[in-house]
Amino acid sequence: MYRKQVRRRRAVLALLVIGSFVLLTVTYGRGSDGVQRGVSAVFAPVQSVADRALKPARDMVNWFDETFDARGENSRLRSELDAAREQSVGAQAALAENEQLRKLVGLERSGAIPSGYDTVTARVTAKNPTVWYADVTIDAGSGDGIEVDDPVVAAASGDGAALVGTVSAVTGGTASVELISDHSSRVTAKVVPGGAQGIVKPEVGDPGDLILDFLDPTKLIGQGAAVVTAGWRGPTIASDYPPNLRIGEVVKAPIREQQASQQVHVKPYADLRNLDLVQVLTGGSRR
Amino acid sequence: MILTPNILARLVGIVVLGVLAQLCFFSQVAVFHVSPNLLPALVVALGLLGGTMTGAVVGFSTGILVDCLLIAPLGRSSLVLLGVGYLAGMFRERFEIDSWLAVPLLCGILTVLAELGAGAVAVVLGLDTTVSALVVRDILFKGLYAFLLGWPLYAGLKRLLRPAIVDDLEARRSRRPTVLGT
Repeated sequence: MYRKQVRRRRAVLALLVIGSFVLLTVTYGRGSDGVQRGVSAVFAPVQSVADRALKPARDMVNWFDETFDARGENSRLRSELDAAREQSVGAQAALAENEQLRKLVGLERSGAIPSGYDTVTARVTAKNPTVWYADVTIDAGSGDGIEVDDPVVAAASGDGAALVGTVSAVTGGTASVELISDHSSRVTAKVVPGGAQGIVKPEVGDPGDLILDFLDPTKLIGQGAAVVTAGWRGPTIASDYPPNLRIGEVVKAPIREQQASQQVHVKPYADLRNLDLVQVLTGGSRR
Repeated sequence: MILTPNILARLVGIVVLGVLAQLCFFSQVAVFHVSPNLLPALVVALGLLGGTMTGAVVGFSTGILVDCLLIAPLGRSSLVLLGVGYLAGMFRERFEIDSWLAVPLLCGILTVLAELGAGAVAVVLGLDTTVSALVVRDILFKGLYAFLLGWPLYAGLKRLLRPAIVDDLEARRSRRPTVLGT
């Protein structure tokens, strides 16, 4: 009897492991399939409601994290934080959201978005829980005109907005965005000023440090230079990204590292850990 | 675990709520720059309450739901979580949980293992970039958060699934007072 039970357990385990491998093999690299679209359609409204309901609690936890972080800074910042403590968490959240939306609207008005692109504003409703993947789900999908490979921007530090990733899969009402800090992300970029070109790739586990790789070792890059999308175009293919979308700022550029490994370190303008509102650039002339 | 339709419905509810809480809340908050990952701890707690079969099936289902909601390749999370659930269930079937530290410790250790397992899956699927040393910090902190959340999670789930837990049923039966004069 006991042996029979053990055999049954092992059989179930083997079946589940084989099932996982089969599903992984069938669905890997294919974007969304029927099951995901169905589950997504059922859960999207629930997820959206849960996301909105939990936002004040999230803001409060993040506020504590940021406050703790700021404790080590100077007294001026402390007094500012004391003043900020007196404000309600809800009001702060509303102000932050308002600022993000202003920046996103400002991006459209400033002409930073190339002609031919439409924008869809969406809210981040889910985020991958493991450290190995940097992808988020947003509450807009193919029903809003979003397609796979559409670039995504978000409000950035300072003025305007900056690139945060691309759409990797879509369903009717949701889309998955692969952030530029995800291990599979690669963005062709150029440095301003100077025009040196390279590829921005992430370092897994550190979304605040991107690497601009494959640089020309003869073109030395200084700290503080801006990195923007190159937006190249060939006769038959073109980059997924429009040109001159802000990505980040060069923060570490040792001459030895530039000459030996042709790379510099870039800090993204957008806070990739705390994304809330994003804007998807749809359409464009790349297709 | 005695699986009745009522208990099955509760298990489904727990998994759905757990996944939504993780994706909509825990993944989007940061404590010391690290987001807690509640899902391995949830699967461990259910594995400890229900045994290997319950642990593995709950882990698989949780992973499939996560992959569906993230529109990620199906099986990526379930492969790891079913292993975690099975290991937790195996612990329950082979050892006695006689110390209150056992549950949080298992939650912490298996969360670290789950993160390492997810890393292994990522490598198998193609991880062609450098890995920051901060990954180690992130994984250890996730393990610490699971350790801290493990006991309240286990206690809450035990209360919710009390009618189905075999050990608890026997303990309650043995505690029933003798009624005289009936």
